[in-house]
Parts: sequence; structure tokens; C-alpha cells
Amino acid sequence: MFVARSIAADHKDLIHDVSYDFHGRRMATCSSDQSVKVWDKSENGEWHCTASWKTHSGSVWRVTWAHPEFGQVLASCSFDRTAAVWEEIVGESNDKQRGLSHWIKRTTLVDSRTSVTDVKFAPKHMGLMLTTCSADGVVRIYEAPDVMNLSQWSLQHEISCKLSCSCISWNPSSSRAHPAMFAVGSDDSNVTYGGKVQIYEYNENTRKYAKAETLMTVTDAVHDIAFAPNLGRSFHVLAIATKDVRIFKLVPMRKESTSTGPTKFEVQIVAQFDNHNSQVWRVSWNITSTLLASSGDDGCVRLWKANYMDNWKCTGILKGDGSPLTGSSVRTDNLQCLTLTGTAAAH
Amino acid sequence: MSGSKPDILWSPHHPDRYVICDSELGLYRIGPVGGSETKAGALPLSEETAATLLAINSDTPYMKCVAWYPKHEPECLLAVGQANGRVVLTSLGQSHNSTCKELVGKEFVPKHARQCNTLAWNPVDSNLLAAGLDKHRADFSVLIWDISSKFSPEASVAAEKIRLSSVDLDSSSVVTKPLYELGQNDACLSLCWLLRDPKLLLAGMHRNLAIFDLRNTSQKTFVNTKAIQGVTVDPHFHDRVASFFEGQVAIWDLRKFEKPVLTLTEQPKPLTKVAWCPTRTGLLATLTRDSNIIRLYDMQHTPTPIGDETEPTIIERSVQPCESQIGSFAWHPSSQNRMVVVSAANRVMTDFTVFERISLAWSSTTSLMWACGRHLYDCVEDGADGVESVIEKDIATKMRQRAQSRYGHDTVQVWRNHLLAGGNDPKLKSLWYDLFYMKQCAEDMELKLQGNKQSVVYSGIKNIVKTSSGTTESRRCWSGSDRQTDVPRYLSEERCLALRLCGWISRGPDIDVEIFLRTLEQEREWERAAAVALFNLDIRRAIQILNKGATAEKGDLNLNVVAMALSGYTDEKSSLWREMCSSLRLQLKNPYLCVMFAFLTSEPGAYDGVLYESSVAVRDRVAFACMFLSDAQLPRYIDKLTNEMKEAGNLEGILLTGLTKDGVDLMESYVDRTGDVQTASFCMLKGSPGDVLKDPRVQCWIENYRNLLDAWRFWHKRAEFDIHRGKLDPSSKPLAQVFVSCNFCGKSISYSCSAMPHQGRGFSQYGVSGSPTKSKVTSCPGCRKPLPRCALCLMNMGTPVSNCPGTGKSDEKVDLTRENKLAQFNNWFTWCHNCRHGGHAGHMLSWFRDHTECPVSACTCKCMQLDTTGNLVPSDSS
Repeated sequence: MFVARSIAADHKDLIHDVSYDFHGRRMATCSSDQSVKVWDKSENGEWHCTASWKTHSGSVWRVTWAHPEFGQVLASCSFDRTAAVWEEIVGESNDKQRGLSHWIKRTTLVDSRTSVTDVKFAPKHMGLMLTTCSADGVVRIYEAPDVMNLSQWSLQHEISCKLSCSCISWNPSSSRAHPAMFAVGSDDSNVTYGGKVQIYEYNENTRKYAKAETLMTVTDAVHDIAFAPNLGRSFHVLAIATKDVRIFKLVPMRKESTSTGPTKFEVQIVAQFDNHNSQVWRVSWNITSTLLASSGDDGCVRLWKANYMDNWKCTGILKGDGSPLTGSSVRTDNLQCLTLTGTAAAH
Repeated sequence: MSGSKPDILWSPHHPDRYVICDSELGLYRIGPVGGSETKAGALPLSEETAATLLAINSDTPYMKCVAWYPKHEPECLLAVGQANGRVVLTSLGQSHNSTCKELVGKEFVPKHARQCNTLAWNPVDSNLLAAGLDKHRADFSVLIWDISSKFSPEASVAAEKIRLSSVDLDSSSVVTKPLYELGQNDACLSLCWLLRDPKLLLAGMHRNLAIFDLRNTSQKTFVNTKAIQGVTVDPHFHDRVASFFEGQVAIWDLRKFEKPVLTLTEQPKPLTKVAWCPTRTGLLATLTRDSNIIRLYDMQHTPTPIGDETEPTIIERSVQPCESQIGSFAWHPSSQNRMVVVSAANRVMTDFTVFERISLAWSSTTSLMWACGRHLYDCVEDGADGVESVIEKDIATKMRQRAQSRYGHDTVQVWRNHLLAGGNDPKLKSLWYDLFYMKQCAEDMELKLQGNKQSVVYSGIKNIVKTSSGTTESRRCWSGSDRQTDVPRYLSEERCLALRLCGWISRGPDIDVEIFLRTLEQEREWERAAAVALFNLDIRRAIQILNKGATAEKGDLNLNVVAMALSGYTDEKSSLWREMCSSLRLQLKNPYLCVMFAFLTSEPGAYDGVLYESSVAVRDRVAFACMFLSDAQLPRYIDKLTNEMKEAGNLEGILLTGLTKDGVDLMESYVDRTGDVQTASFCMLKGSPGDVLKDPRVQCWIENYRNLLDAWRFWHKRAEFDIHRGKLDPSSKPLAQVFVSCNFCGKSISYSCSAMPHQGRGFSQYGVSGSPTKSKVTSCPGCRKPLPRCALCLMNMGTPVSNCPGTGKSDEKVDLTRENKLAQFNNWFTWCHNCRHGGHAGHMLSWFRDHTECPVSACTCKCMQLDTTGNLVPSDSS
């Protein structure tokens, strides 16, 4: 059972992204008001905004946390064609006593000529690496060779995807059996341009990322994409937000030791749901990749869960404004009873 | 409107009123469902709101367009444009005050009759009403009427007059002279006043958009375009205008009125309405003919003529307010993103709110945060059990609970781990019993000094039966009777071991299941106990168990009946008993009762009815197979079953595979299905030969599990897991993390490098208290020079800490062992990695309880706040 409560966000315009840190005790939000806010969870479970600052000269599309072993580091990307890396610093003032923290810009990545639509840190085991994708269809991978110096980032890879990119997701698997891999989605709405999800894989021999797979069945604009936490599974799961929610399974084929090309995958679609009625905007996995949340143009957040037999079904619907959802407007698809209250939940 | 296509107008001043116009005008009030204001007969608009019809006006036939007077008073004044080009002022509702009475019924008549296409009130000078007409030779098509002109009080009661038939009935209420005449020799299809200057009127003319300036009517700015329909100014951005042609919307910037700054993607059907959202910037709603979808264009960024060329960011969305085809819609003037939609037929209305795009994220502790518009919503899984306990909890929640109950850590009574896991998962129960029996057997063998055979125990029954040799076949009597059975039973050392691993017998070589039976009886597993007794050819005992069960379960008739049936057993091949049992056994619900009769009615060596009864626990089936299958049949059956278990990721199969590569395969299949890396990690750590731990998959599960514990801030649990792991897999022990060297000689000052159990970022401690030469710990063991001084007590490090005044008193009642532990920690040498000042841990801690800056003079380092993670509290500390 899930209970929702509202938090006074105090952003002056639309919030475009929400991101939790590794421990789930901090959160960052970004908005069209060009600012990023950092929130800290107190011991009693309340969220407090501890920092809010102007980050860009345009709408900030996405914000994301680095793994805490690299320090308290955020990255943001914006319509102003840049991505930026921010680090929390302590010691300059007494802000911490007043419950405020201070964030300074470590670098601005200015390589894109168009709006930077997504930014993601690579999995921790790859070191401190940052990926951006932009509306002109270029994915850029940066690396901070010295994790102690976040002002030095070198552009390691530039990959042209040909189609306007809207979202990017790293495969979080840390298994040595799986080469570094990311998926990129395109919001190009022309269905004749073919697959809107491309998967790239790192090749040790060429030291380059090469396209391993294109999901040709996804022909409509893709708004979000998320690799599921791998958790030691032998395959990869990818959730896609397009005109419906789709879940793909990528099973690596047994590789012959002599072949040097990219891994071949057996691509299976395990679920496809059009319950949002129209566009799906976001998808997010929980830590064990056993629950998927999606949001769509029906103004609802839907929760999906698979049973032991890999059958996915909707286990919950929450209305976007936190108001109670009465049964008749909802398609009755194996709903679990959900209650929503405006009060804080006992945590 | 001509009766077919309806339109909606919100009242400019009453947030709860709107007008629907099709063949007549209908005024509605919107209110909450079941509210005091809504009466019976209210039309439901949504789940929360309903509309009540307040007034109907059908005085004005042949309506083509309607516009609501923008000022407060008179409040319900509407201008109606008719098919003959006349514009009539009319009203809805009873509240006729004097001004209203003067105006209502006024008619504004053009020189030549032609259709009136559009009407627009001037938002500032509300006496000005612009009307756009079809073309009539060289006549003007845009007429601006002054509604206050030719004012005559007697004219106000002319509402009942049939205006179309009689032109000049009452000349006083008819105005024929417009204030302005514009757009000569042209047609006007749409109009709107510009918000940046109320003297400017934007008109969609035939094949061009024109801006007329009332201060200089001889001039107009115009641009040739086809997109001339539905001109509308963005209320949030007064230079931005939208217009459309067929399926395409053009966005214009008045500052650079040469070409559209943007054309939106073409829609397959002709558009009928385009409207800017009044409560939200850059949101344009569009409607096409014969559609039940409203398409929204969320213009996050549009190009501007000034400044640099930026690419537009437009998000296309579509919403479906209702199932039926939409006739028209109208944004609510003040409610956030709300609109009312009316269907093309039957005047079905819907109240609808467009949600902003929601972005969302899961936290590591399974709470969901989402952002909708400017608001954030935090959604947590309610921990309270109750009605939803029937719904299976997510594995993430389960793993957290199990970690806190120290699941996997019971290394003595290994089977107890399934209780720590909650005790409600039969697969886990089976797994932990398997591991328990394996451990028992392995320990026994160790006692018998058969160390080389120890690994056999963990290699699984599949491998054990393969090596089986010296199998003896015996035909035993049914106990309690001297009748010879023709059922061959097989016996060997390996089979005996397998039976032990199945838990049927506790110690070989005698096959004595009595202890096992008693346990089952205690756990009230009557059917299972009876089956095991029967498989040991002891019908009498089986019957006894069933009778006992029937008594204990308060007369379970079924058990008595089965006992009765059993007692009639005969081994005659063609007896009636056998015939009946074979057919009726399938009706028995309990699988164990079922297999009992399957066994009794099978031919020797053909026990498929028992072996493939999937509801019977794997361990019982395997034990059965080990007793009754020949050396040729047994490995085949075990192999088949193993593959089945591996395929399904069934943890019961660990019995067969043991902790071998096969076992890892099986576990992989289990993890693939469940994500339960916790069970996988702990299970693989139970194998005494650590071979499986080298499997990269196992390493991967362990790493993933540790990562989960870290993300949940279960650091103590993670550390305990590491200790547990280190015992079984010494290679996983991390090396010492910190070395401290002497300032003078540069040698390490540690006495024993291996005794440093701490990890962390920013701060490090070095324990000097446990060193062997206690008297000299204040000096470097290499050069005998003194160690640095504590910044607070100014004693050389290594000196035992004396408590700060005031802190020690209250702690005196704390029990001694804990006191001692803390005292030792207080002696530790700590320092800040940033400013490199430090001292006794106890002193430092108490200093930073009241201070933020370093205790060394002139050092402003905020040592304690440098590490954000260091300030997090572990969530699993008791």
C-alpha cells in the first residue's frame, strides 16, 4: 500500500526532474525556473530544501547524483546547451547550522550545439564518468581522470545517433561478463525513421562504443528510458516510455571466445501497456527492479510488478495531484486497493 | 453555430459559470457533486463536479458566433453574430439591472447582409465590439461597433421582436453606423484585439493576416498567409499569436511579423479550435474535427526574433477528456489547466484538468517521489501490515526485513534461517534444511576422519548417486507381517548419504526413519509422515500415524478413511482393492495420500505416479527414488529432475545440485526470477569448499547484496556480512587501509599492521591502546621519539584519556564492559584529513559536540562537516 503526501516545492515553474541520491536521503529537483533545489530528509522523514540556486540560463531538464564515493556531486543539463557539474562544499560559511548547504559549479560542458536533453553518471565501477545526450543526436561521454578534481573533464567519446536524443540510461550491471552499455532514446516523432531506441556497447579492442542493437519495434517518440538494476541477473531489462509502457529483456547470447564484435542479444518484449491512454512520460525502477513506476498523459502514476512467471501487471494507480482516485474512472485491471491521504504517513 | 457545432464560453467573472451555444444559449453553473448548490437534475461533469442549468435563451436564431462582454457589469451580456451579419446583444439570467436593460436587444446591422464569422470585444474599451464578416463586393468586412451609440432608453424591451423578418421595426434599438469600417473588398474569418495595445486589431482576412490600427485606419500591417483562422493572442506573451489553416498551426511573433516563427506538426484532420491556456505559459490546446482527443503543444521554448537562433522545444501531448467526439472546449479562466469540453452531439459536457507531465523517481528504500507541475509528492509504502498482507511484498522490502532479522547469519542451526526469513516461504525452508543436513553430514564425516569425502556432501545428490557403487538389492517383508514383498529396495553407502541429505534418516548405516517420523508427527504433517512410513514398508505404522492424525485434527474423516483403505492392502494384481485405489486416488486432494496409493498400486520399478507428483516435496521424491530406483534408473531420474529444477529456479533443487556449478546455475535462474541476491549470497557462502565462491556470478551476487545494504544504510549489517564472508572466504578480507609513519624516522608507528579494522573517507583512526609495550606507546617504536600531541589535552598520543570534566559523571551507571569498550575507543588517535589536526577520539568527539571549527588555534577547518556521508546515521543500528 502506498500513501502520498504533498511537499511544498516552491519552484517558480514546472519541475522537470526528480532524482534521489544513492542512500535515498537526499533529493534534487530541477525546473524551468532555471534552478536546482537540493532536499535533505530529516530523521522524522520530512524533506527540507537545503539549497536552491540558479544553475543555467534556460530550463533545466534533468538532474542526477554521482555515487557518494565521489563526494556530493550533482550534474544538470539544460536548454541553454550546456551541462554542469556541481559539488557541495562545506567550511566557507556557517550555512550548515542554518540548515543550508553551499554548492559550487565545478565545470560547464559546452560541447553541445543544441539543448542538452539528458545527463547521467556512468555506473560507479567505471570511475567518474558523465554522459550527456542532446537534441542534435549526439551522445557525449566525459571522464574526470582525477576524482579529486572535478573541474577537469575530458571528452572521451562522441557518438552520433542520427536522431534527436531525448533520454539516456546506463546499464548498471557491474558484472565483468557485461561490457559497459547504455541505451539512448529519441523523441523524433516521425515513425518512418525506424527504431527510436539504440543500444551501444563498449568494445575493449577498438576502445570505442559501437551500436549493439536497435529496437526496431519502437517507432514512436521515446520520452524516457531506464535500465533496470541488474542485481546479478543474467540478462538486462529495459523500460521504455513511448506511446505506451514497454519492458524489454535483453538476453546476451553465449559469445564465442574468438568473436570480437558486439554482444548479440536476444531481444524479448515482456510487457506492453497502453493503460496511460496516450503518451507515457517517465519510467523508473525500484532498487531491485521488481517494481516499475510510470507516468503518462492520463495524469496518473502507475505501478507495475511482475510475478514469479514474469507476468507484469498493474498493482497501483496514483493520481498526479495526490488526490484520491475513485474507481469508475480507472480501467479495472487487477487493481490493488490504494488509498491516498493528504496526511504524512507513519514511516 | 447553426445548431450543429456547439461552442463553450466561460464567464469572464464567475469562475463557476459557462455558456454553451448551439441552437440556443444555455447558462450553466458548475459545482461539486452532491454539494448544496447542486440540485437534483444536475449533470455530472466529472467525478467531483456537476453542472446545473441556470437559464436558456433561444431568442437569437441563426447564431454564428458569440462573445461574452468582458467587464463586470452588466454581467451576463453576450453579443451574438448571426448568419445575416447582424450582431445582437442579448442576456442570460434574471439579473437585469439598468445598464443591461438599456443594452439588451440592441442590434448592429451591416449595410449588406452576409454571414458574421467572428466577434471580439475590446478588452479595455469595452464599448467597442469588432465583427468579422464575409465578403460582399467592395464592402468592408471588419466593422467595429460602439455599443453605447444611439442610446435610447425606450428601446430596451424589444427582445421579443422577430428580427430577421422585420428590418426597421424599432429604429432606436438598431444601429447601422459602425464606428470604424475596415478591410475593404475582403473577407474576415477571425479577429482578436491585441493585448499589448488595445487600439490594435488582428484580423484573419482572406489569404492574409492584417493588423489594423484604430488611430490610423487607412493603414494596416499585413502578411500573406493561408493560416488565417482562429487568430488568438497568448495571454502570457502578448507578442505571440497562433492561427491555423486546415491541420496546421502557425505561431507568429508580432515583432517580426513576416513569417511564422514556428509551424507545428500537421494534424491529419482540419482544426476547429485553437486556444492558449490562460493559467499556464506556452500551453496551446488544439482540436480537430471528428476527434475525441485534444492535442496540446507545450512550448517550453519558442524561437524569438531577437537574440540568437534557438531551436524550439515543443512537447506534443494529447489528452482524451471523454469517449465521445468533442465539439468544442474552453479553458477555465483561472483554475489551473482546467477545461470544460462539450461533445459534438447531445451536449455531453466534461470537466477536465490537464495534468502536467509527471517526472518520478524511486528511492533506494522504495519510496516514490514525483513532480507534477510545481508540486512534489512523496509516496511511501505503508509499513503497516493488515489487509494487504495477502498481497505479496516486494522483494526489496522482504530483503530489508530479513537483513534486520539477521537472516542467513545462523551458522549453527542453519535451518533456523528460514524462520529468520519470515518462515512463510516453503522454498526457503527447503533450502535451509538442505544446507543444514549438508552441514551435519559434513561435520559427521569430519569426525570420522573422512575429510577427503567432505566435499562430496556439498556436491549434491546428483553427483553422489553417480558415484554409487556396491548397490545391494533386498526384498524386505512388510513390517508387522511375514508376507514377502516383491518390491526391490536398493541400498548403498551413497544412497544412504543421499537419504541423510534428504533428512529422512539421521545417521547411517541403518535405515531408521523413526526419528524423522516423530518429528513429522510433532509438526502435524500426518500425511507426509504416513507416506514416509509406507515407503519404508511399514503399513502398520502408517495406519497408526493416520489414526493419530485423525484424532489430533478432531476427527478428520479423510485420514480415517485413508487408514481404512490402507489396511485393506493386498498385493494381488487383479484385486478389486487395487482397481478402486488406482481410480480413486486421483480424487485425493493431499499429494502425499495420493502418492501412497500410487506406490501401492504401481508395478515394481515403475513409480512415475510418485516420482512425478510435483506437489510432493523434492526431498521426499528423491529419497523415494534412492530407495526404489535401480542404478540404471536413478541417475536418469535425478538428472531429469535436476534440469527441471534448474529451469524453474526452484530452490528445492539445491538438494540435487549441491553447491556446485550446477547449483550456481540453479541459483542464477532463481535470482533471474526473484532478484533475491540475499538468499543467493548466503546460500553460496555455506559451502565449505569455497570453489563456488570463485564463480564470477556468485561474486556478482555478493557485490550486489553488499551494495544494497550500503544503499539502505545497513552498514552494520554489511560489516557483519563481510565478517561472515571473511570466515569462509579469506581472500575477501580487505588489506589494512591506513598506515601512519613517524614524523622523525618515517617508519610505520604501528606495532601490528593487521589490527586495523576501520574504513572511511576523511577521518581515520589508529588504535594504539592494544599494543604489547604499553609503557612506551607514547613514542615511536622505531626512533623512540614522542608521538604527536592531542590538540585538546596536549598530551602525547598513547596517553590514556582522562575524561573531560562534566562528561564522565552521567555515564557512571553504564555497565562496565561497554564503558571499557568506549574508553578504548576514546584512546584512539584521530585526525582530520583536511587540516591534519587531531587528537584522542574521545576528546575530538566531545569538542565537536559543541563546536564546528577545529580546536587548533587559527584553524578554521570544519572538520566534522566535511564528509556528508559520514554524517548520515546508519539505519540498522539498534
